[in-house]
Parts: sequence; structure tokens; C-alpha cells
Amino acid sequence: MPNALLVGLSRQTVLQRQLDIVANNIANLNTTGFKADNAVFAEFLTSSAREEQFAAPDRRVSFVQDRMSWHDMRQGAFEHTGNPFDVAIDGDGMLVVQTAAGERYTRNGALQINNAGELVTASGDRVMGDSGPIVLQLTDRDVVITKDGTIKVREGTNLTSDSTRGKLRIVTFADPQQLQKDGANTFKAPDGVTPQPVPDANINVVQGSVEKSNVRSIIEMTQMIALTRAYTDVATMLQQQSELQRNSIQQLAEVPA
Amino acid sequence: MRALHTAATGMMAQELNVQVISNNIANMRTTGYKRQRAEFQDLLYEHVRRIGTQTSTQGNILPVGIDLGGGVKTVGTPRLMTQGTLSPTGADLNLAIRGEGFFKVLMPDGTFTYTRDGSFEMDAQGRVVTAQGNVIQPGVTIPNNAQSISISPAGQVSATLPGSSNATVLGQLVLTRFVNKAGLQAIGDNLFVETPASGPPQDGVPNTDGFGDLQQGQLEQANVEAVTEITDLIAAQRAYEMNGKVITAADQMQQSTSNLMR
Repeated sequence: MPNALLVGLSRQTVLQRQLDIVANNIANLNTTGFKADNAVFAEFLTSSAREEQFAAPDRRVSFVQDRMSWHDMRQGAFEHTGNPFDVAIDGDGMLVVQTAAGERYTRNGALQINNAGELVTASGDRVMGDSGPIVLQLTDRDVVITKDGTIKVREGTNLTSDSTRGKLRIVTFADPQQLQKDGANTFKAPDGVTPQPVPDANINVVQGSVEKSNVRSIIEMTQMIALTRAYTDVATMLQQQSELQRNSIQQLAEVPA
Repeated sequence: MRALHTAATGMMAQELNVQVISNNIANMRTTGYKRQRAEFQDLLYEHVRRIGTQTSTQGNILPVGIDLGGGVKTVGTPRLMTQGTLSPTGADLNLAIRGEGFFKVLMPDGTFTYTRDGSFEMDAQGRVVTAQGNVIQPGVTIPNNAQSISISPAGQVSATLPGSSNATVLGQLVLTRFVNKAGLQAIGDNLFVETPASGPPQDGVPNTDGFGDLQQGQLEQANVEAVTEITDLIAAQRAYEMNGKVITAADQMQQSTSNLMR
């Protein structure tokens, strides 16, 4: 008898968690370089009692369990900002950021310069080039970031030739689902997962644009409607179940006159 | 229920976004104004099922886990220091900087501030001052009998004085630049001050060493683009509404749970 209640409960717990994921996606509708999360559920069977001990085979009860959340790695829309330090990566690839806790990977290309002239993210962490951080000089102007991520500037009064200040390190992962979100628009690679450099020919960096969040609001809204309905349905089922129990207790307790 | 709080962070972020956008729109016609943009980042994640956890004694590991995010935070409102368009005014002492650099302004308390607003005037002593009456640095004094003031792209101020057919050099204007000009702090009145993030000021002569040149009789308009701001405003408003809907959904779910109890 209590199985129905517990099955309903397992569904409700999972739905609440799914709403948490949807809420986080919607909260990050305008977050640059954000990648949406999705939940996947799995049926979870109770371990059956040993069948030889019963005359009739035991029925197995299935519960719901949330199995995983996966990152939707599809590309977000590009927004033109006109800021020379904004970069969006068209296609595969992530920027490498050096944080206090180690290397992190991000698609958020809204970059800045710090007081030492280093290229940093909005949280102040250094963006790595192929050979260490990228440092700009005080007299640099007309910053150009080429398709392969090379940062070129005009130095001082030099009108004719470019100076190179480094090349953005752009990496990819064999299975991006293995990456873990680490907040601040960054991903963390767990132990044993190593980034692969993207070949120069495949890099397509777009200067002056940022990649918007890839959350599709219509999908999130319909998902939210569906899961609130499912939750209410389960609640109704639980209510009917407890009604059933109450009725049976009342009726069985009636002593025939 | 976490979703309620997550949606609340989303609403707060969009509210701030609208605030930044409205300030940009309000300053669309402010000389030398530089637009701001709100930058968001996702908050910390709770790893409910951690990636890489062993699922069996045979060494099978979870290929993916469950990451529950906690919403969004505003990380900054960086200023976009791009060049604004120049508009001619015809006034002798109106200057626009084409390229890098700021005018240095001496405040009454002896500190320096920096501005791209070159709508200068002359005070009673003939000094070149900003619209608020603060003297620009290094100071240039123009005699009251000077005629046809001209300011070269390299910042040389000259004028014709009575009794002389040649122009007399009255002074040299200087520009200041910073490694990270987006790190300057705006203090209102179109003025910026140096911060630890901007790096120290570096003075230089206009039109040399990467400094911009000066355009007399022009003013630099704000770099706000109406279309960008309005589309951003629409996006922010919709995002705000949707976060509100999440709160409603979470509320409904909680309500149906509490209705179970009779």
C-alpha cells in the first residue's frame, strides 16, 4: 500500500529538482556564454525479493530517479557589442582562464584589460594565450583579434605594421559532457579529462561580439508548464491514495450491528 | 525549494540590467558619455551526482553528473570606451578627441579627474575651464584681446593678438591615457577618476605615441546606440517576466503539496 505514496514522492522530488534546473536556465537568460542544463530521469526498480520464497512471483515497483543533467552545448546567438576586447567563438572551442583554483574553460568572451595591461575576464581572471597570459602595452591601440585568435595591435605612432601580443589558447574536449560547471560562466575539467587544442584552421574567433546565453525561453517555459502539471497530477494521485486508505479504515472499523 | 530563490536572483539581475540600460538611454545626448553594459555570470553549482564517481566495484564511473545551479549574479557593469561620433558646434573652445586619451581636469580640492567632454569655456581670468568651471591641466590662459583662437590637432593653442599679424602660441594641451580605461570610475559630471584597476595616468602630447588628435569646433557625442539599447531593454523585460513565471510555478507546486494535508 505505501508503495504508491513512495513512488509519487520519488516523482515529486525529481520534479522539484527539474524545476530548479529550469529556474537556473531562466535566471541565466541574459548571461553571456551560458550553456543550458537539462535533466534526464531513469526508472529505478526495487530489488525484487527472492522469488523462490513466494508462490507467485514478486511484482517489482519502479521509482523515478534523476539520473543526470547534461549541458546543452549548442552555440548561442552572437550579439554585436563593438567592444574590441569582446570575442565570440564560432563553432567548437573554449577560452582558457587561469583562476586561483586552477584552469577553467569558458565560452564567455566579454574580456577586459586589467591595470597591468593583461587580458582578463569580467571576474579578473587571466585569459591564457598559447604562451602564457596576454599583455598589452600602454601605447597599444587599434586592437585587432584575427580569426585564429591572434591579437594584433598598432604600437605607438607606428602606422604601417602590426605587433603581435599573443594568440588566444582555444581548446576543445572529446566529450564536453564530462565538464563540470563551476560558476562564473566557467567549466572545470575533472581529473583525467584533458583539453585538446583546436587546430588553427578550425578556429573562428569573431571580434566585437559576444555569445549570448543558449537558453531557449520557449522550451524552458513549456517544460515548466509540463512539470508543474505533472507535479499537481502526482499530488492528486497521492490525495486519492490517502482517501482510499482512510475510507478502508473507516469501513473496516464499522462493527456490524 | 531552490527554484524560488534562483528565479529571484534572475529578477534582481534583470532589474539591474534595466537600470543600466535606462541610464544609457538617459545619457544618449550627453557629450563624451560612454555606454555601460551589465555583465552576468552563473552562480555556484551543487553537484548532486558528481561526475566521475564510481558506480561499481569494476571501476565504472559516472560519465555525467547532476549539476544544480543557484541562479545568476551581476559581475560588473563595464564601460565601453569606444569612440563616439563627432558633431560640429563651431565654438572655438569645443574640442573632441579622435582616438585615445582624456583631458585632465583640476578639481577644487586639488585632485585630478579625467574627461572626454571637451565643451570648454573661458572664465573671467581667461583660463580654459570645463562647463563646471574647473581648470583644465596644464592650464592655458587666453588674453581677453585675443582673436581667432586656433587649436591644432597636436594640441597647440594659438591666437592672433592685436598689433601682430602672426599667431602667438598661448599654450600646449596634454592628454592622459590609462592601460585599462574601462577601469576608470565615473563620478558624474562626465568626469572619471583613476582607480587601482585603471593603472596610473600617462600624460602625452596629442597626435603622438598613440594618443588621439584634437578636433577644434567639434564635440564627441555619446557612444549609445538607440537600437542596441532598445533591443537589450526588450530582452531584459522578457527575461524578468519569465523569472516571475518560475516563481509562480514553484509557488503552485508548493501549494499542491500543502493541499495534500487535510
